[in-house]
Amino acid sequence: MAIDQIHDLQQVYRKLLHSMSRPGTISSIEQETKQVDVDFGCADSFILSAMVLLDAEVTFHVLSKNRQDLIEKISDYTSARCASVKEADFILVLQEDEESDVLEAMAQCKIGNLIDPQQSATWIIESAVLSNEDALVLTGPGIETAAHLSTGQPFRFWQARDSRIKEYPMGIDMIFADGSSQIACLPRTVSAIPMEVK
Amino acid sequence: MRANTHFAFFDEGSKKEIRRATLKAVAIPGYQVPFASREMPIARGWGTGGLQLTLSLIGKTDVLKVIDQGADESVNAVSIKKLVQETTGVQVTDQTEEADLIQSRHRIPEIPLTKDQILVLQVPMPEPLRPVEAREYATKRMHSEDDYSGAWLMLFEQIVKYGKTATAADHPVYVNGRYVMAPSPIPRFDNPKMHQSEALILLGAGREKKIYAVPPYTAVESLAFEDYPFAVESFEGQECRLCGSAHIFLDELIDQKTGETVYQCNDTSYCMEQLNSTEKAGVENSYA
Repeated sequence: MAIDQIHDLQQVYRKLLHSMSRPGTISSIEQETKQVDVDFGCADSFILSAMVLLDAEVTFHVLSKNRQDLIEKISDYTSARCASVKEADFILVLQEDEESDVLEAMAQCKIGNLIDPQQSATWIIESAVLSNEDALVLTGPGIETAAHLSTGQPFRFWQARDSRIKEYPMGIDMIFADGSSQIACLPRTVSAIPMEVK
Repeated sequence: MRANTHFAFFDEGSKKEIRRATLKAVAIPGYQVPFASREMPIARGWGTGGLQLTLSLIGKTDVLKVIDQGADESVNAVSIKKLVQETTGVQVTDQTEEADLIQSRHRIPEIPLTKDQILVLQVPMPEPLRPVEAREYATKRMHSEDDYSGAWLMLFEQIVKYGKTATAADHPVYVNGRYVMAPSPIPRFDNPKMHQSEALILLGAGREKKIYAVPPYTAVESLAFEDYPFAVESFEGQECRLCGSAHIFLDELIDQKTGETVYQCNDTSYCMEQLNSTEKAGVENSYA
């Protein structure tokens, strides 16, 4: 069965909003990923997160250089336009992407300005299986005391993120989507401290 | 031929735009995210901001509660409920605990909200600095520079004039220690409910085209001076004339016959619940 553009995407949005307002909270969108009947060559939860947010009014950038097929499919499905990493509203990162490319994109993507901090890039990241193990300690709005999250990103990733969110309210927001139909979010307000160096 | 309305009234493109703005609002607590406020079948300034948020959020299984200054049955609440129900077919309720989505005009319910609920507040004037600065580009700059002297000055002037801060409603708050935000015209009594709230609070201003948010467990401090601390409305020694509740927000009314001042719960569903529970206890006792 095909994905229902109205009701399935509404459910995914509510899970995204739940996870965004409660950083570190992992939401399952298994019911909805079951409906995806096209092979995009990436996690279904990743593609659904993109489908909820992308349309003709926004731009996206696929980090991977050899995934022209994915760019075309996302454009076909959402009417969103592909743009350079410096301009894109959404940066889509796949698990296969090189760490150096990710760090470079992190340094270049837009973070808004003090007058319009919302004109920043949102990262949608295909990640290793998400869990609440204590790889990262999260604190900030939306978290009562502290939350734990494991996304499989290397230490340098978090350093790079820190350097882009230190001028709050400017910054980047992140959505992590894994192969087990789970999503978690990290808005710019949240401090993420890695517990171990990998 | 009459075509059926699309689910939740909006086309999917409109929903997406509101959803993107909402996620940004959650990521920058208290910051007013501009959005392309849509034309709605109710007039601007009558809760279109809240309504647009509700329609972008709502799904088939949600249970909706709409209140207008504490009342479930007032015109604004009923019209909004009707519109949402006719275009989505969702269940509506008066009970605060039963609702997943609560759209409210100018009150936060008396019963504490939970983590599975979302409170949507209708906002007429989202800009706390507007009374001191009419130009939008100037107020945006003030927010960016963390320059809230205007908001402080307003409170200071009230103290000079009246000997206390005299905001009847919409007392400005600091969100997450960064943005000063208009909490919508809720009474000061409700301001502390926003602080470290369990539920997500979304605020929508349709006419002014702004969406902003207070995520759960976020610091929300009412602006106050050291020597003039923030105080909520006091109903010391008063209780609701119908259900007898105290320590809640009461409406002050004049009894038409006697001319006396009487007090009554502002939150009608809370009052009804108290009455029903005492009634139930009374019936159980008389039968026993």
